[in-house]
Amino acid sequence: MGASVTATTGAKRYKLSKLEKSERLLGIALLTPAALLLLAVVVYPIVELLINSLYSYRLTRPGYRFIGLENYAYALFEDDRFWHATLNTVIFAVVTVPGALVVGLGLALLANQPFKVKWPVRLGLLLPWALPLVFAGLIFRWFFEYRSGIVNAAFEFVGLPPQNWITDPNLAFFAVCVAIVWKSSSFMALILLAGLQTIPKSLYEAAEVDGASKFQQFVEITLPMLKPAIVVALIFRTITAIQTFDIPYAMTNGGPGNATETMAMYIHKTTIDFLDLGYGSALAAIMFVVSAIATSVYLRHTRRDTGRN
Amino acid sequence: MTKFRALFASAALALPLALAAPPADAQQTTLRVFVGGQQRPDVMRQILDLFQQRNPGMRVDVEVGGATSDQQQQYLNTVLTSRDSVIDVMLIDVIRPAQFAAAGWAEPLDSYLGAERDAVMGRYLPAYREANIVGGRVIALPYFADAQFLYYRTDLLQKYNLQPPRTWDELMSHARTVMQGENNPNLRGFSTAGAPIEGTVCTMLVPMWGAGGQFLNAQGRPNVNSPEIRRSFQLWSDMKAQNVTPPNLAEIPTDRIRVDFQAGNLLFAMQWGYAWNRFQNDADSQVKDKTRVAPLPAFAGNQPATCIGGWQVAVSAFSRNKAQAVQLVRFLSSPEVSKMQAILASHLPVFPEVYSDPDVLRANPWFEFARNSVVTARSRPVSPDYPEISEILRTNMNAFLAGTRTADQAIADMNSRLARVYR
Repeated sequence: MGASVTATTGAKRYKLSKLEKSERLLGIALLTPAALLLLAVVVYPIVELLINSLYSYRLTRPGYRFIGLENYAYALFEDDRFWHATLNTVIFAVVTVPGALVVGLGLALLANQPFKVKWPVRLGLLLPWALPLVFAGLIFRWFFEYRSGIVNAAFEFVGLPPQNWITDPNLAFFAVCVAIVWKSSSFMALILLAGLQTIPKSLYEAAEVDGASKFQQFVEITLPMLKPAIVVALIFRTITAIQTFDIPYAMTNGGPGNATETMAMYIHKTTIDFLDLGYGSALAAIMFVVSAIATSVYLRHTRRDTGRN
Repeated sequence: MTKFRALFASAALALPLALAAPPADAQQTTLRVFVGGQQRPDVMRQILDLFQQRNPGMRVDVEVGGATSDQQQQYLNTVLTSRDSVIDVMLIDVIRPAQFAAAGWAEPLDSYLGAERDAVMGRYLPAYREANIVGGRVIALPYFADAQFLYYRTDLLQKYNLQPPRTWDELMSHARTVMQGENNPNLRGFSTAGAPIEGTVCTMLVPMWGAGGQFLNAQGRPNVNSPEIRRSFQLWSDMKAQNVTPPNLAEIPTDRIRVDFQAGNLLFAMQWGYAWNRFQNDADSQVKDKTRVAPLPAFAGNQPATCIGGWQVAVSAFSRNKAQAVQLVRFLSSPEVSKMQAILASHLPVFPEVYSDPDVLRANPWFEFARNSVVTARSRPVSPDYPEISEILRTNMNAFLAGTRTADQAIADMNSRLARVYR
């Protein structure tokens, strides 16, 4: 592709040589399979979803009727549950993204210490990340279970009354946040650890000579040097936080009531349980817009940042 | 629904159709049955072994999935909206045939039954005959019947000289007496389903029926602002306030009630028929021969009511072996299999005569009155949109039990959301 682009973008047009022509053909031929695959698995479903979102389309009732933007209007102006789920998603993101960053940074700093045997620390870092999300959700559901959970057992051990972790809306929200932070901080730590290892040792040695304390070294050297890694980690984490589904699904199924229901869960219920594909598609399109806005905020920030550097 | 527009289009495209099973052995047909973890897949296996013995050309595999009715349905929703032929026969809850008929997921059985149709259907208990015929077509055949009953601990009631309760008030006062007398912090008076799952719909409806209420009014519209539904909410809040129910009621699914009762931690439980067999036969059961079954209580001056349950066997509309699948379904829905299930799993029979079979009664003495309970049991609302209706009811009941919504808020939410479904 690169060759053909430079060939055509020159100010003066000239005829392509035979070799250039055949190279261009080869380039197109090599790109076609990937382009077709992307069309089939990315473009087609998205277009299909956008079309469906303009229709009244329920598998439980016959008919496929064009209703324009009615699904969107209902979601945005009438459906309290949608707004509640959106709010929950935002709160999950606002709590768990910084939470995972702080815990992940701590883990990365710990793993960056010169341990004699490195693998147990690295394994401990990797394990939560390698565990499927639903497993993590189920494990934490048992941790927080009222009668046989380890958390209430610990509470009783120190003389505190057992708590309704799963059925009290605030405690359930807290419990889900704990599970999400536990699960996602190891991914954060992995990215940050990679960033930490690129910081030259000489900087710390120089700071040591100048008499900087450990804390000053952390604030003045580690954090600024780590910033690109932190931004990347935050972008990834925010996008997945907006899509939060598995852990609350396995832990609370959105309960009590709809107290821990996220946007992705509401979309899942609408499409898979209620088989309302039209409305579900509209909800998914709205969620895509929310996700795109959040990502573009970060991207703008990074662009400004790299420009300054 | 001629056009396939499921969201799973991308997945369907990625999987080449060429993957379809090749006709391996001309003689051997393999069928696949989907059954939930709560419907005793082990017993299903024994029944299928018998079927294979009698039909040497056929092999039947069991696929087990889903711990609750709604999880099972979620799985079937994905398989069937993508028109996957992997499952030939599936167990479906008694509330589902209308949805399966509307979606075109179940192969109608009328043409296979032919002239026998009315004679075959006439042998079942009327409620199950009606549940499986939608718009004049036979959508599935009954596998086993079910209803909710009151399980109680005979040893504890005898100790305090109490009779099985006939009203909800009696139940609460018995529970308080026994809990005070036993002074065991793990013992609770009563439990039912409270998690956001299908069974919680019955937790709302049973006391409402037991107060003389109806879910639908004369015009066929939902009637969720009745005094009777408020009595149901009031009953559960009274039980909660008096600590009769476990403090974590809002996280308890159906099988958890069975586990708690089996561990000796409950005096009364509202539970389906299958639990009896587990209480009597499980190695870890603390309540063997200390348990009895009775009809559920009602409010004073009203008839007791219970939720009708039970599971049906349907042939997938996308099966590649429909004739053989129908043969299997007819076997699974025979009096012989009904009797086997009654003895092996305390699954309630779908044929009236099986209830009085001496072998069945020896294994389940309480089947004597169970038939009457099943015959008078009430149906949850019948609609192709049942999954959404159920979600509206169970989410609100769950929120109420957890204390996050008042009865007024729950009723208002149900009203506005049901209005959209029933518009």
